[in-house]
Amino acid sequence: MNNKEMNDEKLLRRFLSPERIERAPEGFTTKTLTRIRIETRSLTEHYGFIARNRVPLISAGITAGLILAAILIPSGDNGSIGAEVWKYIRDIEFTLPGINLPKWASYTMIGIFIMGFLDRALSGIFQKRTTSKP
Amino acid sequence: MDSTDDIYYIGQVLEGRINAFEYLVDRHKDKAFNLAFRICGNREEAEEIAQDAFLKAYKSLKDFKMKSSFATWLFRIVYNTSVSLVRTRKKKVLSVEEFPADAVDFLSMNVSDEEAADEYRNSLVNFALQKISEEERGLVTLYYYDELDTGEISGITGISRSNIKVRLFRARQKMAEIIRKAEMKNVLHYE
Repeated sequence: MNNKEMNDEKLLRRFLSPERIERAPEGFTTKTLTRIRIETRSLTEHYGFIARNRVPLISAGITAGLILAAILIPSGDNGSIGAEVWKYIRDIEFTLPGINLPKWASYTMIGIFIMGFLDRALSGIFQKRTTSKP
Repeated sequence: MDSTDDIYYIGQVLEGRINAFEYLVDRHKDKAFNLAFRICGNREEAEEIAQDAFLKAYKSLKDFKMKSSFATWLFRIVYNTSVSLVRTRKKKVLSVEEFPADAVDFLSMNVSDEEAADEYRNSLVNFALQKISEEERGLVTLYYYDELDTGEISGITGISRSNIKVRLFRARQKMAEIIRKAEMKNVLHYE
């Protein structure tokens, strides 16, 4: 650097220093975060509560099931409360009213179920693609 | 640029804690805003650009590969957005070669002498910045205000280091000349 260049550099350093930066306006952070909240969903929000906490929920479900089974299901007919409840459950009889549907109706119902399932699956895939693109 | 904390907070955001992004905004907002403001020369546009940059960064945070620091990545968005905006804007030709105001013009009853001097310097710098190209404004801001080296600036702007040096040299010369002329006018004024 020659003398002139050094003087230019000094002059600019006097006028353009980190202390002289133009600061963001008041409330910039709040405004930006509000905009982010409005314009986007949280990166994991679309999974929902159950999907995000599936591991502890499944674990809690299995544990609760095992505890209930231990209390209610008897090892033999020993007259405990569990045995009575188990006997009651075992003796429940389900009766359905006789419905006479034509054969085509059952095929239609199955068709509707399959179409519905396909619709949900496809909409799930395309919705995921749309939300994942920035 | 220290980015250890940034990495931690990016991880938090990716786990779904949107509030962690507040730290990143708070930490980088001033530099992001300053870069946009110095390039486009307008506070409202600069605020919009800086906000857009944070929004873009948030939306594509999961694609951020950590090859560069978060700041470099963010400033790249701010730089590119600002330069594109200025290019698309109808170019205003500043025919005035010399800074039209004097330091005394900034003195008023409402502000202290120091504040008036700051205001004068700021206006003079902004005037000088408008005399160089939008890319050069970005380079000058990153070099002088953010004190980044040419390698870091290259990472943000995509301009080679040697080209940055040449452009900085040219911008420095031009800006120094304008500032010197204005300073000289003030000296003569007081004499």
